[in-house]
Amino acid sequence: MILHTASEGITLARKLENDSAKFFEDLAQRYVKDAETLLSFARDNKRYITQIERAYYGVITDAIEGGYAFNMDSDDYSLRTTILDNSDRTGLLRQALENEDKVVKFYSDAARQSESLLADVTRAFKMVAERRVARRPKLSALLGEK
Amino acid sequence: MAMLEEPVKKVRLVKNFINGEWVESGGKTIDVVNPATGQTIGKVPVSNKEELDAAVEAARAAFPDWRRTTPLARSRLLFRLKELMEENFEEISRIQTQEHGKTIDESRGETRRGIENVEVACGIPTLMQGYYSEDIASGIDEWVIPTPLGVFGIIAPFNFPWMIPLWSVPYAVATGNCVVIKPSSEVPLSQMRLAELVEEAGFPPGVWNVVNGGRTVVDGLLDHPGIVGITFVGSTPTGKNVIYKRCAETGKRVIAQCGAKNFMTIMPDCDVDRTMAAIMTSFFGNAGQRCLAAANAVIVGDDDMFYQNFVDKIVAQASRIKVGYGLDESVQMGPVRDIEKKEKIIRYIETGIKEGAKLRLDGRKVKVAGGYPDTCFLGPTIFENVAPSMRIGSEEIFGPVMCVMRAKDLNEAIEISNASPFGNGHSIFTSDGKNAREFQYNITSGNVGINIGIVAPIAFFPFSGMKDSFFGVLHTQGREAIRFFTESKVVIQRWF
Repeated sequence: MILHTASEGITLARKLENDSAKFFEDLAQRYVKDAETLLSFARDNKRYITQIERAYYGVITDAIEGGYAFNMDSDDYSLRTTILDNSDRTGLLRQALENEDKVVKFYSDAARQSESLLADVTRAFKMVAERRVARRPKLSALLGEK
Repeated sequence: MAMLEEPVKKVRLVKNFINGEWVESGGKTIDVVNPATGQTIGKVPVSNKEELDAAVEAARAAFPDWRRTTPLARSRLLFRLKELMEENFEEISRIQTQEHGKTIDESRGETRRGIENVEVACGIPTLMQGYYSEDIASGIDEWVIPTPLGVFGIIAPFNFPWMIPLWSVPYAVATGNCVVIKPSSEVPLSQMRLAELVEEAGFPPGVWNVVNGGRTVVDGLLDHPGIVGITFVGSTPTGKNVIYKRCAETGKRVIAQCGAKNFMTIMPDCDVDRTMAAIMTSFFGNAGQRCLAAANAVIVGDDDMFYQNFVDKIVAQASRIKVGYGLDESVQMGPVRDIEKKEKIIRYIETGIKEGAKLRLDGRKVKVAGGYPDTCFLGPTIFENVAPSMRIGSEEIFGPVMCVMRAKDLNEAIEISNASPFGNGHSIFTSDGKNAREFQYNITSGNVGINIGIVAPIAFFPFSGMKDSFFGVLHTQGREAIRFFTESKVVIQRWF
């Protein structure tokens, strides 16, 4: 689905963060040894939602191009969050990494497209993208990767 | 994408808010209809003169104590009100969409703009400071004390049901005055919700009053000797011939912000892609129902290729605008407020055709997303070959209609714009600083945009206007509002 409005972009950001957080929480239940790291990711996601919403609600005005903020296809950022009974830990953590990459791509694309929404929203998108990139090694470490 | 939940689920009976109490009016009621769905969401009373008088008397009675309340204490109440506005931000925004029709992004923007005025007014302890000169003559000092005047009437239009009263009211009460607000009876629910927050914030009874109704309430405010001033936003005929004139007759100070026909000058060196988004928002945002909406696009230069490509691009983009119910997040343009307004806009479109303008995009044939009745919906309409003398090029249509004109150079574009009787919000799109300065210097417009589609001043700047777009001296918002809502008391002191 093609998104254009600022409201749609913020809703998609919220959905990606919530879906991703739920996935981490489900993984944490299944792999108790990794729970601390996984749950910290889920908590981060919820903070990111707050930061994005704060930026959007703080700068939205009736005078900016809110109806024409984005031109992106939400299908490009859909996450795989299903945990099958026969899924193994390595596969699920790789799935989590793929999801992270998709969310980073969303924020990077959204930041590039949202310049008309005043700098604060763009900055918030970039900041969340950077923080996600920064936490990626922790997730990789669970896989024994550097 | 998501259809957001409606906050108004049942028909709300709108009451007056007088002396801190919710009072049911004895007058007949009018339905408040959601223009997108056609559903009745409220019933607003047509209050009578006695009800208005009761509100004015309550405000007058509250004034002495409110004036004595320290600016710091008044500011704290405004801070509390701001907190409540933030807590209820989303509900407030959705009410606007329900009662007015604008998209949810536009409503949230309106909510934010309203809150910004409260934030600015919170600075009243410093904003209201006077000034002092020692030794204006030997041993004599002189100073100015800005003092509140009494009770102000606030008359609001339909197009920004939440924000426009907030251009005035926070400054009025912050400076120690009391107010009686008359919301538009087409969209009273936002002001009702605002008054609920005012009550919750703990404003003393009588400081902030709301009386719903029509002409009787307006006349009552204009004629009441207990009202010291009026702020009005609405059409030029009413602002000029009724509000401004009557305030002069009754000795009231006045701010009358009126109609517009805004010109957007497009230079061939503009950033085309960014200008497009600004054009879509300015001409078609809020379904064109804003006094700062661009109405005429003046494309400069004799480069026919640039002109044609540019206009084709506008038409292509405008034809893709998604029209529907503003609570559908994907909608980019909502309905106009009611069927009478739609019919008036259609009459203008028909006039444009008769006048010989070329209809490039016909908004009368609109596809409404979500299958809502098309009663109040119109699509974007674009005319080419519009002459400034045509009615569609010179009169305020107040709808999503774009008139495209050409000018041989910047000077001619400025001349065309300045020939309009209105001077509200003209803008230029260019990447040339010299052009921008020439435009800003020579254009007769209260608000001037340089690469800005909707020239809406932020709360700490005055919302200006010139010629037939404004009647009065001082403006709403910021320091000018502080000045409007206070009188200068000058003290000259000598001690023997």
